[in-house]
Amino acid sequence: MASEPDSSSPGAAQAAAARDRARFEEEALQHAEHLYRIALRLTGSPQTAEDLVQETYLRAFRAWRSYSHGTNLAAWLATIMRNANMDELRRQSRRPPSEPLDEQSDYYLYNRLADTGREPQERVLARLSGSGVVEALSAVPENFREVVVLVDVGDFSYADAAEILGIPIGTVMSRLYRGRRLLKQRLAELAEQDGAA
Amino acid sequence: MSVDSCHGAEHLIQPYLDRALTEAEVARIDVHLRECDYCNDRYIFERRLREVVRDCCTGEPAPAGFVDRLRLRCCGQDDVA
Repeated sequence: MASEPDSSSPGAAQAAAARDRARFEEEALQHAEHLYRIALRLTGSPQTAEDLVQETYLRAFRAWRSYSHGTNLAAWLATIMRNANMDELRRQSRRPPSEPLDEQSDYYLYNRLADTGREPQERVLARLSGSGVVEALSAVPENFREVVVLVDVGDFSYADAAEILGIPIGTVMSRLYRGRRLLKQRLAELAEQDGAA
Repeated sequence: MSVDSCHGAEHLIQPYLDRALTEAEVARIDVHLRECDYCNDRYIFERRLREVVRDCCTGEPAPAGFVDRLRLRCCGQDDVA
């Protein structure tokens, strides 16, 4: 962010830096709602999500000079948020549950609902809308859930998600694949519980 | 991976929905989906599932006063070099 080279006096330079920072702060705050939606799906509670976003902005504003202007600000903020979330998880020493390992079709949910065959898949989806999907997503282990949240909820590209998480794109794709499959398994269970009730 | 079989198409449906395929792959998937009801039914379901997940998980807005609280608590602090 370029400030006008208006003076050689330190006071004027300081004032220019403060203006740059204030402008940066406002620009960054434009992404607050977007970050909140991601935070809510990462943490599962509105209060924790708000705390996480607040911690993110505190860190971001302290480090504002390390943001290179013109690069993806949403991804830069999401990277900070992800690190803050991992620090918090580590602090609470909640280990992300380990990955279950069973090979399933990409069409797992569709096929499973077709097997049950009691109602059209489209109706099952409509029935699952709302808290069912949120509950299913929150049941996906952390390392898979964060990729699904960034790409499917946060609308980040594979490349952005790779940058935010500090992992290769191939890993983003494989975790996304597993995460979505785990989500479908949970949705299928919920659909069957619901349907049986 | 071949897009000419149902098996090949299955593995490309997710990247297809993510817009992560090349133009050539997209064109071949499009052809396969036009010709194959089995895959097309499943593709439509997967697309709808994405919409449902997105709608359900982005629906809740931030609480009232959220951005104002951020501004109050986070803006105008000292720089850390």
